[in-house]
Amino acid sequence: MTYVIGANCVDVKDRTCVAECPVACIHEGDRMLYIHPEECVDCGACEPVCPVEAIYHVDDLPADWLWHLDAAAEATAGRADAEPVSDPATVTALPPAIQ
Amino acid sequence: MSDTPLLTIAERPASPPSARDFRSDQEVRWCPGCGDYAILAAVQGFLPELGLRRENIVFVSGIGCSSRFPYYLDTYGMHSIHGRAPAIATGLAVSRPDLSVWVVTGDGDALSIGGNHLIHALRRNVNLKILLFNNRIYGLTKGQYSPTSETGKITKSTPEGSLDHPFNPVSLALGAEAGFVARTLDSDRKHLTSVLRAAAAHEGTALVEIYQNCNIFNDGAFERLKAPGTRDEHVLRLEHGAPMRYGPAGVRTVVRDPGGGLRPGAADDAAVVHDAHTSDPVPAFALSRLPEAGGPTPIGVFRSVRRPTYDGAVAEQGRRVRAARGPGSVADLLGGGDTWTVPAPFGSEAR
Amino acid sequence: MSQRVTSVSRVVIRFAGDSGDGMQLVGDRFTAQSTLFGNDVSTFPDFPAEIRAPGGTLPGVSAFQIQFADHSVSTPGDAADVLVAMNPAALRANLGGLPRGADVIVDTDEFTGRNLVKAGYPAGVSPLADGSLAGYRVHAVALTALTVGALRSFDLPRRDAERGRNMFALGLLSWMYHRPTEATVAFLREKFARRPELAAANVAAFTAGWNYGETTESFGGGYRVASAPREPGRYRTITGNRALAYGLIAAADRAGLPLFLGSYPITPASDILHELSRQRHFGVTTFQAEDEIAGIGAALGASFGGSLGVTTTSGPGLALKSETIGLAVSLELPLVIVDVQRGGPSTGLPTKTEQSDLLQALYGRNGESPVPVLAASSPGDCFGAAVEAVRIAVTYRTPVVLLSDGYLANGSEPWRVPEVDELPVIAPAFATGPNAVDADGTPCFQPYLRDPDTLARPWAVPGTPGLEHRVGGLEKADRTGEISYDAANHDHMVRTRRAKVDRIARGLPPLVVDDPGGRAEVLVLGWGSTAGPIAAACTEVRAAGGAVARAHLRHLDPFPADLGELLGRYRRVLVPEMNLGQLAGLLRARYPVDVESLTQVRGMPFKVAELRTAIEKVAADV
Repeated sequence: MTYVIGANCVDVKDRTCVAECPVACIHEGDRMLYIHPEECVDCGACEPVCPVEAIYHVDDLPADWLWHLDAAAEATAGRADAEPVSDPATVTALPPAIQ
Repeated sequence: MSDTPLLTIAERPASPPSARDFRSDQEVRWCPGCGDYAILAAVQGFLPELGLRRENIVFVSGIGCSSRFPYYLDTYGMHSIHGRAPAIATGLAVSRPDLSVWVVTGDGDALSIGGNHLIHALRRNVNLKILLFNNRIYGLTKGQYSPTSETGKITKSTPEGSLDHPFNPVSLALGAEAGFVARTLDSDRKHLTSVLRAAAAHEGTALVEIYQNCNIFNDGAFERLKAPGTRDEHVLRLEHGAPMRYGPAGVRTVVRDPGGGLRPGAADDAAVVHDAHTSDPVPAFALSRLPEAGGPTPIGVFRSVRRPTYDGAVAEQGRRVRAARGPGSVADLLGGGDTWTVPAPFGSEAR
Repeated sequence: MSQRVTSVSRVVIRFAGDSGDGMQLVGDRFTAQSTLFGNDVSTFPDFPAEIRAPGGTLPGVSAFQIQFADHSVSTPGDAADVLVAMNPAALRANLGGLPRGADVIVDTDEFTGRNLVKAGYPAGVSPLADGSLAGYRVHAVALTALTVGALRSFDLPRRDAERGRNMFALGLLSWMYHRPTEATVAFLREKFARRPELAAANVAAFTAGWNYGETTESFGGGYRVASAPREPGRYRTITGNRALAYGLIAAADRAGLPLFLGSYPITPASDILHELSRQRHFGVTTFQAEDEIAGIGAALGASFGGSLGVTTTSGPGLALKSETIGLAVSLELPLVIVDVQRGGPSTGLPTKTEQSDLLQALYGRNGESPVPVLAASSPGDCFGAAVEAVRIAVTYRTPVVLLSDGYLANGSEPWRVPEVDELPVIAPAFATGPNAVDADGTPCFQPYLRDPDTLARPWAVPGTPGLEHRVGGLEKADRTGEISYDAANHDHMVRTRRAKVDRIARGLPPLVVDDPGGRAEVLVLGWGSTAGPIAAACTEVRAAGGAVARAHLRHLDPFPADLGELLGRYRRVLVPEMNLGQLAGLLRARYPVDVESLTQVRGMPFKVAELRTAIEKVAADV
């Protein structure tokens, strides 16, 4: 089980969640943040601190955001300790978010 | 009666169990961000490695935040009363040596109210794996100091600072004759898993102290052991047979102190080689006092020494007595000693 | 010698000496000889709390009282007919209760100036010389010198030879009452099997005592107490603690369960731990825990694993176990808690008897925490009471408190050895598979789904595939056993746990009322170890022409279903207890009957005479 960061984070990257995560499993990409689905311990610390409500438990993820789980898995594969990662193509291709 | 096994252990399942198989259907209810989540994830991830079926594993806990643990594992479990888990688990493990019995406890549960049971379990060497979640605070009662809180701690019950000197759980366990003592960190899943693996492989009582962050009442208690910028300077990762070096790129050493203990040394000093298997508990004890000598905090296996287990000895003694005396006969027992018979009166029916 | 033998119907002997003088051993052997002869007997060891108080002093006196008779006896007797005093302290400590005319046998060698002072006699005063024993039949015997003389041919240090004087005394008393001696000789040979010279010396001292009786004229021709009529069967003498241990073993065997005892040594319960520790070949595991709490904790852990968990203790230990008993109530697992009561509060009187833990057993826990409570009524009844405690614990999945007391624990009586197939069948009936289906129709296991008849929940032990479940002390949801803080559910669970204990009454036999004439208007209702004195008192009342009915409670919670009706049948109800009226208070609260309480807490059983007086007083006022 894991939490997942969805589209609201794109081009926002507030990073409060990174500081909250007790196991350093939130990784920063170019356009958004990603939770490592294998490393997440389901503690829920990140979810309430997100100012744009981008974080959901995978069981509660809006249907149109389900693809973010795969994006996170792809972005964080083999990474540890909150290392920076590259965005997968699915994220790179997103239109710029309206600020 | 006891010659017949109580139950037959089921054969291994065709497909090995996964972490998911060990998750119960209960919603986990610790505070968001609690270190307990990380430990739970590591244990759920590790249990399939044991190669045991879920029905042969039992988790017993006491009272406290950590003691909710058994509810979240789909094994047999008991959430008992404050401090008593080692005693209850002892009865279970001694009467059922076929089970893998784990105790989950905290610094208050194990070292305050249950201190007596902990030390006696360690001294007897019952086949138990004891996971001691140490967050150096009382969480469930909302923030009083614990027996591992540092002196001077400001808490709700010590607004002027606590006056108690804390326990060092590793030193305590070694003093209580523990054969296996280790320490690890909640957030370092790899290390935590490796220590659990070593504990599970140990025959007898294994005590694993897990530094666990309480992000509500004692946030950051172990931060310098975790933060990328400080951890290398403050953590000594123990490996049996390896020289004890730490610091960025391993430039610092642990050396013998002329006083008999251990202390931090210079880069070019000859580092002491860690021997977790020596029968002498003194080196492991010296290691447990290293932070007090200005050195780093050791994590890993301090001591792993085999000695006969209590449950094994009980079973062996039972077998020996049965072999010598044969299985007991209740009729012989009741009619033993000096007996006399009062005959039925003449003409009456014999019983 | 052809002296006249006097026939008597019953005799009470009190053996008294220093703690180290072996009086308990003498008492045990005299008891065995008497039962083998066919008398009915009842015994009462009365020893100090100190292991070895300073030698020769009053606090160090240890005594053993036995009543043996040609008819049924149920108490060790109010007062001794014969006092054997091995030293001045033993004489001084026991003279108070001795009726005039009693025989007093003293070891004159011990009545030295120093020993007299140690016993508290004024300097220069000896009770053997100052006339204070006038009115008693004093037999001054140089027990020590005679023993040492008899053992001269043995190469023993003088002190060891002197220690044989208890056997000399036993030999003398055995001659006086024509006891059979073979069993004692065999006993000594076995006890000292590894030191044959000591065995021979003890037998020689015993024989010398016998021969002394036969050759001296001080005792006439001795006394004859004919054997008592009994139900046919095989008998043995048994103490309460041993009978209780045997009951646990037999019941575990009937249930097919391994027995696990978790215990911490405490007077007067430790002998149960000792006895069970000797029976490992029955699949018994004994665990001497680090404290009382660990003792019951380990027992409960073993019960969770499918053993019969048992813990044994006395009052102070029961107090320490309270929280774990509460957990067992919540877990609904079988567990037997044995409380061998002693004088309280606090450390109280460790070696003296009392019945003052009844309310602690019933109510000494937080929350609504119902626990079935039973009490044994005689040393031999400790066996049946233990079997019954196990039956209830296993059948109803509940902790059970079994009350004994110091009087029953160490007292002994002849006991008819039961046949194993007379014992009740006890079925653990472990859960083996799912017992329900969940919302989507999948079979599942609900650990708190109850048997509709007993309200017992299933006992699913670790190792059973598919029944993995978690239990704990938090309130749980009906059926599923999941944690629940729901108000209505809690109300339901509290009432259900109580109802489960109440259900036990459905399976109990009707109360037995002893009222030979059927015309009594007074009922004496007892519980626990007062059974013997009450029975003896009622017999005396009836022998004097009075009418009294008697009933005795084994089950204190739940009460037998017919108790209320029984109480209502009598004009007056008298409840004797060795406390300040605990059962009487419960009865008044529960039934519309103004029971009368008769109480004493002197560390000793009721005297038959005081009970008789109390009963006659009530009967006269009907």
